[in-house]
Amino acid sequence: MTAYVPMMQRSQWEDVEPTPQLDGPDPLVPIMYAEDYRDAMDYFRSISATGEQSDRVLELTEIIIRKNPAHYTVWGYRFQTLLALQKDLEAELELMNEFARVNLKTYQVWHHRLLLMSHISPKDPQSEIDYIHRALLPDPKNYHTWAYLHWLFSHFQDRISFKQWQDEREWCTEALRVDGRNNSAWGWRWYLYVECAPEKASEEYWQDEISFAVDAVHRIPHNVSAWNYLRGLLLRLNRSKSTVIDSLNRYASGESPVTFALEFKAEHLAEVGDREAAVALYDELSRKDPMRAAYWMWRASR
Amino acid sequence: MSSDGPVRQTTFKRNGHVNFFLRCLQALPASGTSQDANRITIAYFCLSGLELLGALEDKTTAQQRDAWIEWIWSLRSPNGGFGGSTFMITTSNANTSPGHLPSTYTALLCLAILRAPLDRLDVPGLVSFLRSCQGQDGSFSPLPRSQSEGDFQSDLRMTYCACAVSSIISDFSGINVDAARAMIRQCRTWEGGYAARPGIIEAQGGTTYCAMASLKLLEADGKADSTEDHEETLRWLLQRQIGGFQGRPGKLEDVCYSFWCGGALSILGRSDLLDAQSDRTFLLSAQYPFGGFGKEPEDPPDPYHSYLALAALSMHEPAAKEHALGLKSLVPTWNVSEESAKWLRGEISRIKALKYPA
Repeated sequence: MTAYVPMMQRSQWEDVEPTPQLDGPDPLVPIMYAEDYRDAMDYFRSISATGEQSDRVLELTEIIIRKNPAHYTVWGYRFQTLLALQKDLEAELELMNEFARVNLKTYQVWHHRLLLMSHISPKDPQSEIDYIHRALLPDPKNYHTWAYLHWLFSHFQDRISFKQWQDEREWCTEALRVDGRNNSAWGWRWYLYVECAPEKASEEYWQDEISFAVDAVHRIPHNVSAWNYLRGLLLRLNRSKSTVIDSLNRYASGESPVTFALEFKAEHLAEVGDREAAVALYDELSRKDPMRAAYWMWRASR
Repeated sequence: MSSDGPVRQTTFKRNGHVNFFLRCLQALPASGTSQDANRITIAYFCLSGLELLGALEDKTTAQQRDAWIEWIWSLRSPNGGFGGSTFMITTSNANTSPGHLPSTYTALLCLAILRAPLDRLDVPGLVSFLRSCQGQDGSFSPLPRSQSEGDFQSDLRMTYCACAVSSIISDFSGINVDAARAMIRQCRTWEGGYAARPGIIEAQGGTTYCAMASLKLLEADGKADSTEDHEETLRWLLQRQIGGFQGRPGKLEDVCYSFWCGGALSILGRSDLLDAQSDRTFLLSAQYPFGGFGKEPEDPPDPYHSYLALAALSMHEPAAKEHALGLKSLVPTWNVSEESAKWLRGEISRIKALKYPA
């Protein structure tokens, strides 16, 4: 690492007087800033007071966001400067690729990326879709990454081709094959298959979707996501559990039944009017799932 | 016994927690630089933590608290609201030191905890600040809309902050309530919980709390109907308990979700349905030996998890009976002690009558 050169020793900053932070005599939660961060912020205060937008502003703001990627004011100033100087936003996107690797959970990094993509507004967002798919590999449940993928598809909805939608559905199906318990991938499936279902989806379309969820339960009977998906789907379609209960009943019997199956069966019994049998199952649930005993008793009392 | 792994904490380390919060209030090391824009929120975690522990008055001096109050007033932005820190105030420029919605919420609570006379509070300024943060779709952005475009951060956290600020000042005119409620409803997922933004299709404990708290606060305004069906949400929240709480299905326990999920359950009036003993055991096991709480057992402590752990434990106090930890009781919608909430209501009435007579 090269030693840090203070801003006042850099010729390009000779004309700027640094503005120190006014933190008062007894501040709350002061931070023992590293010298380079303090120094850069002192100059940032000066240039933002005059409204300067220049190449050196871009250098300065990069120093700061590398030290503090959550600095919303600096990010905002940087973005306005990029636009004012008509900079190559693709190059900035490259820089964000580097940032995202270490700051996957920083809102501001994703926000900046979203702004860049809105302005670049590519005719075909495929390379960005690919990038997000790759970004999910090391961290397949990262909420920000999934939220961004959702934004990408909803923002560019009209320019994503039929084939790209198909490819995305296959990609999602593959993600669930690799990890059937990835709840984020289940959520993404809901978007792709339920929210974005064809306007007049056929009966067969919905049967396929219900079967997908039932098959997922068969593969991993204790999979909470698959049960929730199936339950949510039937609720959304306003369908009874009767059509699928036969193949699922087996998980609700024996010495160690699947709690989700007991609940599903109890709800089915209540649906068909067999309240007594439903209550017996809630009673069993309160013993098999003691952490939620009070909840199951409450369900039984309804 | 060594094969059993590290010893998990079971006794409540009250003094350790007091000292942890006092240390953070005094200074964060350089590694805390990423919190530079959110110092007031870190301060809120520490001050509210000390208050729940009943240690604020004993362990800090009146002189110190007065100086802190002055520091908080220095965060006021020219366009209403409070900034998150003093990093820009020297420029006094509304473009580079705008109010910040989460910081505005936490600054108000800090002032209340410190019992600051609020004569200097600009209530109409707060209302217009909130108005400037709300978009057409009903969502709120952390900064006024003229300062930020796009919507990655305009999520339920911001809606919650706007509702909390409005509730604190007893004035909801800064919110288009119908649009805000519609946006919240659109965040409801197939699972019964709430996602961060409309259309995002995975529910999360923190944003589900924000949804429940926001709807409750809006209800108090008398403009929202209370017929909303929360049974699926109740089910989703209780399904998240695995000892402590996880934020989403398939994730590990994390101390903060004991508050987010537990708080949402409390707001729904169903704290009786969770397993308080298991949650308490998990929370105590996540205490750091020298004070504070980490995200999970054996993690180093931070102010966020430390405070939310205490807030969650405070909600378990009634059920703990003789094992109570001596924590003050909490108002789960505002996330501050009942004592401070009561004082704040009175103080807001006083200054409104004084400064803005009807």
